Amino acid sequence: MTTVLLVDDERLVLRSLEKTLLRAGFDVLTALDCKSGREVFAQNKGQVDIAILDLNMPGFDGLPKAGAGLDLLVDLKQQQASLPVVILTAYDEVNKARDAVSGGASAFFVKGREQGLVELIQKILGGQG
Amino acid sequence: MTPAERQTHLLKTAARTAKMITMILDPQELLQRTVDVICDEFKFYYAGVFLLNVTGQYAVLRAGRGESGAAMIAEGHKLLVGGNSMIGSCVQNRQARIALDVGAEAVRFENPHLPNTRSEMALPLIVGDEVIGALTVQSEQEAAFLDDDISALQTMADQLAIAIHNSNLHRRNQDLIRQTERRTRLLEAANVVGREVTSILALDELLPGTVNIICEAYGFYYAGVFLLDDKGDYAVLRAGYGEAGKAMLAEGYRLKVGPGSMIGAAISFGEARIALDVEEERVHFKNPHLPHTRSEMALPLIFGHRVLGAVTVQSVEERAFSQDDITTLLTMAEHLAVAISNAYTLESLKEAHAELLRTKVFEALTTATTEAIHWIGNKTLPISMTVARLREEIAEGKVDLASLGEDLDMIAESADQITQVKEQLIGAVREQRPRPVLLADAIEAAVHQRGLSADLLSMQIDPSAAYAVADSTQLVRALGNLLQNSGEAGAKSVRVVATPSEERGMLRLLIVDDGMGMPAETLEKAWSPFFSTRGHQGLGLPASLHVISQAQGRITLNSEMGKGSKVEIHLPLARVSEDGFSSNGVASVLLVDDNDEWAAAFSALLEGAGVKVTRQTALDGLPAADLVLVDEHCSAVGVDAALAALDQAGLTAKTVVLTAALNPERVTRYLRSGVRDVQPKPYTAAEIAALLQ
Repeated sequence: MTTVLLVDDERLVLRSLEKTLLRAGFDVLTALDCKSGREVFAQNKGQVDIAILDLNMPGFDGLPKAGAGLDLLVDLKQQQASLPVVILTAYDEVNKARDAVSGGASAFFVKGREQGLVELIQKILGGQG
Repeated sequence: MTPAERQTHLLKTAARTAKMITMILDPQELLQRTVDVICDEFKFYYAGVFLLNVTGQYAVLRAGRGESGAAMIAEGHKLLVGGNSMIGSCVQNRQARIALDVGAEAVRFENPHLPNTRSEMALPLIVGDEVIGALTVQSEQEAAFLDDDISALQTMADQLAIAIHNSNLHRRNQDLIRQTERRTRLLEAANVVGREVTSILALDELLPGTVNIICEAYGFYYAGVFLLDDKGDYAVLRAGYGEAGKAMLAEGYRLKVGPGSMIGAAISFGEARIALDVEEERVHFKNPHLPHTRSEMALPLIFGHRVLGAVTVQSVEERAFSQDDITTLLTMAEHLAVAISNAYTLESLKEAHAELLRTKVFEALTTATTEAIHWIGNKTLPISMTVARLREEIAEGKVDLASLGEDLDMIAESADQITQVKEQLIGAVREQRPRPVLLADAIEAAVHQRGLSADLLSMQIDPSAAYAVADSTQLVRALGNLLQNSGEAGAKSVRVVATPSEERGMLRLLIVDDGMGMPAETLEKAWSPFFSTRGHQGLGLPASLHVISQAQGRITLNSEMGKGSKVEIHLPLARVSEDGFSSNGVASVLLVDDNDEWAAAFSALLEGAGVKVTRQTALDGLPAADLVLVDEHCSAVGVDAALAALDQAGLTAKTVVLTAALNPERVTRYLRSGVRDVQPKPYTAAEIAALLQ
């Protein structure tokens, strides 16, 4: 079973994505900010196949931070360089996508176009396999 | 008359005449009175006074007796000093000349205006060592002059000479006084320009004011101010006096910098140019708008080492500029240059400020837009994603009812948050009805409306800052947003303090909480619409800012992470009179409300009008009353429970629901329950009187 780590500070976003991913047959681990995201990842070391991270959410100090998702991306990549990561954001902005890619993200996914998210995850993981 | 009597008469007359002439300061009057007195008192045919001209070459007749005298003066009658006339000889030799029989006097001039003269006397007018003229006295009688006459008249001539001298001194003094007065006026004008330099920074006001002052205070024909254009090639007229100035400004009058004009040269060389007779000044430009100019001065306007322009001052008189004029105008030009430089600095500051403002507005719009995008994305994602999943489940025929319930809740919650944005936006554009509002009541209503615990709040309201001028509905909304923020920040206590502001006519309202506070970067964005760290719509603070600004107030926010936040609001202070009013036939009122500040103030005013007031929150045993008032925000008893109890007691038709914050949905609901009306809470005697009607 493929396990997805989903980190987003918006409770309803987190839950609706979680349900969609569960329905698609994934195992889903969730967290509401960078700090708890890192903890959940550490607690499930070696089990997470892909991480979906919100771009703007509370950082490791618990305070809201623009681009905090990129900090968590770097942190998770340091722990597991091969981990595929999708950055999830409401901002449709090329520079942020570029930052995400340079941080090692596999994809940059804009909220509102999320119907293709399941396919994207499958594609990324399939490409890896 | 005996010789002795004649001698006495002559001396008395001479003394009287001497006294009279010393009192006259106007030179022409002095001379004319002298000749008249000589003729009247001594009974002579004619008398006249000659004064030397500027070169001393001629003795010019300045006063003469009767028509003969007037005719000679009109002709410009003058006699050559040292010539063959008695006057000319007398002046030349500084000695009296007497011709007792004129026919025998070789040097006498045959004067056609005085054909009857038979005796003539010419007496020199001497002051110190200086001869200033001569007096002529003529008689129709031969050998008319006795030694006594000569002596008496010479005494009078000496007095006259002194009087003329005094009169000249007086005239010179008068000229000096006039000069001093003019200098004072000029200095005052320079001071006015100097003062305006410090007070007027708008060139369009300063420059026309300066040319007006120059022309009006100095009496000059024209003044204008030129400023250099951006490239420094031309001096462009920016202010000009009178109609000529208007015409030149209208045609965009400008002069090339350089020796082709006085202004151009003054700017080019950085030196004042003065042409006392413009025809002689090679560089003067003949200006068809100013045809009468005979003197012109061009003063450069220099600040530091920079020439900013030049001032032109023109007169219709030749050699019009005195040293005083030049000195004060140079000072004025220096002041003006400082003012122009200040105005330029202010203009660049304004431009820099406008640029900064544009940048800030753009930043604010970018932040707001970015936050709005983020917010909309987060609120719509649960809806669209859940809907897509449900469609799949329905299509596959695998709908889990428990999961469906949760999905619908998520959709409903997201939709509700979007709806709240609409509410906040409506609030901001709703018409404001400012009136005196009891602050304590607005705060309690806000706490009640937002479902906050009353224990959270402590209020200290100075009686002299009890009422603000605001729209009560909007104020309750704004205060609710702020108190809700405190609640969401985890505050254990919120302290509200109202005092009169240091600013006249304003009050200061502080809302201080001990919540988690916020870091500086969050504080910076706190006023941006859609910015929120708590997942809601992020419009609370911007909406509060809007409401307070519309009430002519202002609001600031300070916060420190881990220590709490402090909101400071300044609002117009309302003074509420406690004038009496008519109860309009209402004898008793049942008030369903807490024992709060508004209830106490309201009850006191009603009782003052002779109305019996029963206030209670217990819903059993409600007494009958002419009017029942229910406070919508009564915390001890819910409005719905109160209305149900009143219905049971048969009092619904007499019930009016009072609210600090009108809301159309709730108003509709109360009216549908059968109450008589729903009204804004009255805060003044006038509003209570209107309610009782």
